[in-house]
Amino acid sequence: MASAPTLLTRGPAGRQQRAGLAFAAPAALLFATILGYPIFESFRTSLFSMDLLTGRATFAGLGNFGALLHDMALRSTLGHTMVWTVLSLAGQLGLGLAAALLIDADWPGMRWIRQLLLIPYVIPVIATALVWRWMLDGHYGIISANLQSWGVLQEGANPLDQESTSLATAILINIWRGFPFAMLVFWARMQTIDRAQYEAAKVDGAGPWQEFTHITLPNLRSAMMSLLALRGIWTLMYFELVWLLTRGGPAGSSETLSTYIYQVAMGEFQVGYAAAVASAAGLFLAAAGLAAWIVIRLRGRRRHV
Amino acid sequence: MFSLHTAEQAPQPSAPGRTPPQTGAATRATPAGGTIAWRAGRVVALALIVFFAIGPILWMMASSLRPAGELFQAHPSLVPSSVTFTWYQEVFRTDALRWFANSFVVAVCTTAISLTVGTAAGYAVARFTFPGRRILLACLGISYLFPAILLLVPLYLVLAALGLVGGLAGIVIAHLTITVPLTTWLMKSFVEAVPKELEEAARVDGLGYLGGFLRITLPLLRTGLATTAMVAFILSWDEFLLASVIAQGDNVTAPVGMAGLVTSFDIRWGAIMALSTLVTIPVLVLFFVLQRYFEKGLTIGGVKG
Repeated sequence: MASAPTLLTRGPAGRQQRAGLAFAAPAALLFATILGYPIFESFRTSLFSMDLLTGRATFAGLGNFGALLHDMALRSTLGHTMVWTVLSLAGQLGLGLAAALLIDADWPGMRWIRQLLLIPYVIPVIATALVWRWMLDGHYGIISANLQSWGVLQEGANPLDQESTSLATAILINIWRGFPFAMLVFWARMQTIDRAQYEAAKVDGAGPWQEFTHITLPNLRSAMMSLLALRGIWTLMYFELVWLLTRGGPAGSSETLSTYIYQVAMGEFQVGYAAAVASAAGLFLAAAGLAAWIVIRLRGRRRHV
Repeated sequence: MFSLHTAEQAPQPSAPGRTPPQTGAATRATPAGGTIAWRAGRVVALALIVFFAIGPILWMMASSLRPAGELFQAHPSLVPSSVTFTWYQEVFRTDALRWFANSFVVAVCTTAISLTVGTAAGYAVARFTFPGRRILLACLGISYLFPAILLLVPLYLVLAALGLVGGLAGIVIAHLTITVPLTTWLMKSFVEAVPKELEEAARVDGLGYLGGFLRITLPLLRTGLATTAMVAFILSWDEFLLASVIAQGDNVTAPVGMAGLVTSFDIRWGAIMALSTLVTIPVLVLFFVLQRYFEKGLTIGGVKG
């Protein structure tokens, strides 16, 4: 490694490296103190049995991780998290794709419509949660009142407050919030598709459906993959919306991994156990990420050969 | 993080999505520009999806302007018969102003710090080679993907040990964990779009590294700085999770204070919708201003190819 010595030399190469380091230093320090150290601390905490109220910490070794395996609440939480993630992603990508196809036209005012459609994604999540809670209010909410008068919903009921519907309702609201992002990514990718492909298809007598399945869809594959990866991680661990809509309830019926960690740490003050759950989730994400990366690498190589 | 990853995502996908060239618009064939029935179907579908997207936002704003008698009736009517500002007057008499002031201070501090640190680091990784550069880039990528919920417990413990829990400074530090990776990433791409030759010429003329950066590159980054600043501001303004455990007493931010209002039995929906509207408006205003900057940023990126 020649880089370390170069750093200390007097010549222009050494000066260049020192300048780069100086520019990067504040961020590097910040990363180390407010990201690196806490992550390390998270693993350390997970080895202790720690009560946030009394401040007492006793070394528990891998006891917290052992307890994970016998935690029945965690088991149902993981099930909810899977349902939450898969259905949210499917809905967001599906509706996002449909919206992208609809706004992909040269009609006047399309730029404004695109802007309007992005609004659910940009407004603060607290406003999203509160307005949906209001619309679903069991007595005066516009949606619930209508569902009740159609007989779909019991009198005075709020779908968010019923065990059978709380998770599904939260998922629907998450789709509302997330679909514009998928739409934007798909639409941006569509703009780069060579229009000559469509012309050629038209000459060959292809209808809109064939154009979609043979030209548009294959071109959107990479966008789909990156959406699945990024949105997958964030949806899996998305806390705010579920918490603000249902707090994981009623009776844990909409508890996902992130609200569970929050509840264990800040509601029950079992910091060590919460850190263990978080560490296990982090390790799982890292492993999944690594696996995905390796698969992509291998597939890329095979394609080149 | 979820809300975290709101508007910030937009620059990436839009990078390939150049706005369609004005001159080519006429020749560009719409893939589905067929019969009148087809067009009508598209218009209807588009109208439905726009209604789905902005309906709740409009309902939020409308509800904040309706008298109590109209809000709380068994069969809510769509069209308000009169407009009132009493909810806003009620809101202004409570602690809410304090919450908004807190949120503003936190968001401004977070934006200023993360912009400074992020620009320097983005400049460093874009322009210099130095030992640890690849590690810094890897840390950037990981911390960008890292869900905030996994950082919650350790970050809380670290801030508690430093005596920063309960104050606005603690919230700013917590928000930096979300904004700095993103601002660095964005500024890196903006710096890469600025030609290197100018600052190299300046260096030949005797300006140092810092002088070249401050006098030559920084003025050319105005658009990028504005875009990045707005993204950081919105992220901090929206953030709920970390602020909810660090903020205490008078020092809560607007989302945290608002979340506490729904737990009571007598929910003042009119006032809550007024607050939701107030927390949304700055974001919407920034979003529509940001849109212009996005396009400027894109043309710079477009020159780069």
